Amino acid sequence: MNSMNSSLLSDSTAVAAPPRLSATGQAVAVTWRSRFRGGGVYLYLLPSLAFLALFTYYPMGFSAYLSLFRWNVLNPERIFVGLENYLSLWREPLFWLVLRNNLFYALGTIPTTMALALFLAVLVNKNLGRVRSVYRVALFYPTMVPMVAAAMLWVWIFNPGIGLFNYYTSFLGVPRVEWLYDRHWALPAIIIMSIWKNFGYFMLIYLAALQGVPADLYEAASIEGAGAWRRFWGITFPLLTPASLFVFVVAIISSFQVFDQVFVMTQGGPADQTNVLTFYIYQNAFRFWDIGMGATLTTIFICLLLVLILVVFRYVGRRVYYEAD
Amino acid sequence: MRQRWVVGALVLAAAVALAVGPADAASKLIRLTFYYPVGVAGPLAKVIGEMTDKFNKENPGIEVVPVYSGDYDPTLQKVQTAVMAGNPPDIFIVEISELPTLLAMNAVIPLDDYVKKAEGGKYWDDFFPPFRENSVVKGKIWWIPFQRSTPVFYWNKELFKKAGLDPERPPQTWAELKETAKKLTVREGNEVKQWGVTVSGGWNDWLFEAFVRQNGGWLINPEGTKANFDSKEAVEALDYWVDLMHKEKVGPPHSTWGSTPPDFVAQRTAMLYHSTGILTFLRTSAKFDFGVAFMPKNKTFGAEVGGGNLAISRKIPKERQDAAWKFIEWMTSSGNAAQWSLASGYVATRKSAYEVPAMKEFLAKDARYLVARDQLQYAAGKMMAPNFQKIREILKKQLDDAVDGKVNPKEAMATVQKQVEAVIKR
Repeated sequence: MNSMNSSLLSDSTAVAAPPRLSATGQAVAVTWRSRFRGGGVYLYLLPSLAFLALFTYYPMGFSAYLSLFRWNVLNPERIFVGLENYLSLWREPLFWLVLRNNLFYALGTIPTTMALALFLAVLVNKNLGRVRSVYRVALFYPTMVPMVAAAMLWVWIFNPGIGLFNYYTSFLGVPRVEWLYDRHWALPAIIIMSIWKNFGYFMLIYLAALQGVPADLYEAASIEGAGAWRRFWGITFPLLTPASLFVFVVAIISSFQVFDQVFVMTQGGPADQTNVLTFYIYQNAFRFWDIGMGATLTTIFICLLLVLILVVFRYVGRRVYYEAD
Repeated sequence: MRQRWVVGALVLAAAVALAVGPADAASKLIRLTFYYPVGVAGPLAKVIGEMTDKFNKENPGIEVVPVYSGDYDPTLQKVQTAVMAGNPPDIFIVEISELPTLLAMNAVIPLDDYVKKAEGGKYWDDFFPPFRENSVVKGKIWWIPFQRSTPVFYWNKELFKKAGLDPERPPQTWAELKETAKKLTVREGNEVKQWGVTVSGGWNDWLFEAFVRQNGGWLINPEGTKANFDSKEAVEALDYWVDLMHKEKVGPPHSTWGSTPPDFVAQRTAMLYHSTGILTFLRTSAKFDFGVAFMPKNKTFGAEVGGGNLAISRKIPKERQDAAWKFIEWMTSSGNAAQWSLASGYVATRKSAYEVPAMKEFLAKDARYLVARDQLQYAAGKMMAPNFQKIREILKKQLDDAVDGKVNPKEAMATVQKQVEAVIKR
């Protein structure tokens, strides 16, 4: 289960391989040679495919199979129950609360992180002299801190009595918030922490993409009298859409992967207000040892991610501007 | 006559050779894996390491390898995974409420035969009765009390003085506690600067059971077959929590197990419900005088025990089990129980441990360490049932919702009752 879970998660990231930043390879006349070459490609892919099959596709399939059984620590004999696990989840209020929390987390983190990352990438892409690299490193720094260490740090930052967060906001006259101990503020607290942790990575992707925007476009626009605002929306933003699509897909996936912060900072509490899908799977599979239910939740999780990514590629992907198109 | 003497001498020589001969010892060496959690603050992993080293030196044929496995939850997971994989640790400690789950998994062996022979048959009766309770199911002893605690009540004497209260007199009853907490709560506008009393979160299910005990009730029967969460006693206990945390707002409704001791040290809260296991941390960190008392009573004083016990795995050979027992007996001897208590702050599990000179000397200096032991006369076993992890989650969810005013205590406990019954019946 564990290896399946983690391999699933890491593999999903691989699904979102960087999109082509420029279209390459026009249609080539199909010849015997190219066919042979095509075959060679499959041959080269075989080892990784075998690996994926063993550690990703097989566990995915097996967990879908297990989701049809009642199987837990107190009933070591597997009993086939069909869709009973799915039905009992459908009737379980906690399951819907968990989904709601995931949605809330996604809405709270994705737009903010993307906007922040883009904004800061454009800023540090400007010629600021020597301080530029200092800024870049400083902004990227949170990303390099291991998530668990960062989460432990933020437990203290959010401490209502002696934490930094309330200390700083008290200067602004903002009333003290109990953060992780308040049912309304616990999830926002985790969202704030996650934005801090993740924007640097996305900023780096944007920064790389910005290097690929031809400078002559800006020159031409300046000559035409376009201001900075106009240049951003007319040139930078459209040319960054492939990067944005990539960032968006990764952000969606990582928003569903959120686990470490929850595990360290709240354990899903108070009153399950920060319980998210991955943590719920963990609880069912490894705390309650309800393997059937854990497998059911995992299967739902996989389907949900697949559907989300298909939707993104279908509807958002179409609007992506590729240089050569 | 003479022949028998010769045979005896030969046997003795063989035994000595077996015991001290390096070649024989090496070939006969039994290496035991020992999974253990650390459930309270402090460098206890080091203490366990020192104790096992000492045991290994004193017992050449056995080598115990201690494996620190995190908090109680991760340790349980590691043990369960290993048991299911058919490769269990020989010895392990997990939280006491997990015994029915371990039995359902057929993970441990009964220790009655060992216990009967230990220390001339006087071993088992020397343990404090409430500590023995979570060991016995179906008339058999399944594991031995080791790192054991009870919740106690801490109060900040300085803040009592500041509020014009007698610093030497902690509240004795629920009613007194509420009044005292009101006086100790300091507000600025809507903001609470200082809480009156903190009932620690994280293991608040454990503390809640103590309140139910103080109200003359119980939550799950010792056999783990009957739930009693919707009883009048339990509902009243939750009602009292809602009073403190929601209506009067003299205590924080949510917190974590690790955050409240520092809160007490930082004088963010004037009174604290927590394990006796944090006493050493408080004593060494607090810059003010504080006291330890029985938890205030309602109908009666009441507490239940907590902590972890030592168990031996079933699916290992008999000789390994014998060696494992040797280790457990050694770890729980009076002297070592006293030493472990001194190093950790846990309650020593045995009456005779309090007669050990080092222990007496220490307690003469700080009588606060005796409060938890003395409270044992009002204590009972902790509730336990199969799949206790799930039961905990169910209870904690409703406790959290109730103290936020999202659900009234009666409904909350009815929900717990219904859901726990479903778990127990499975």
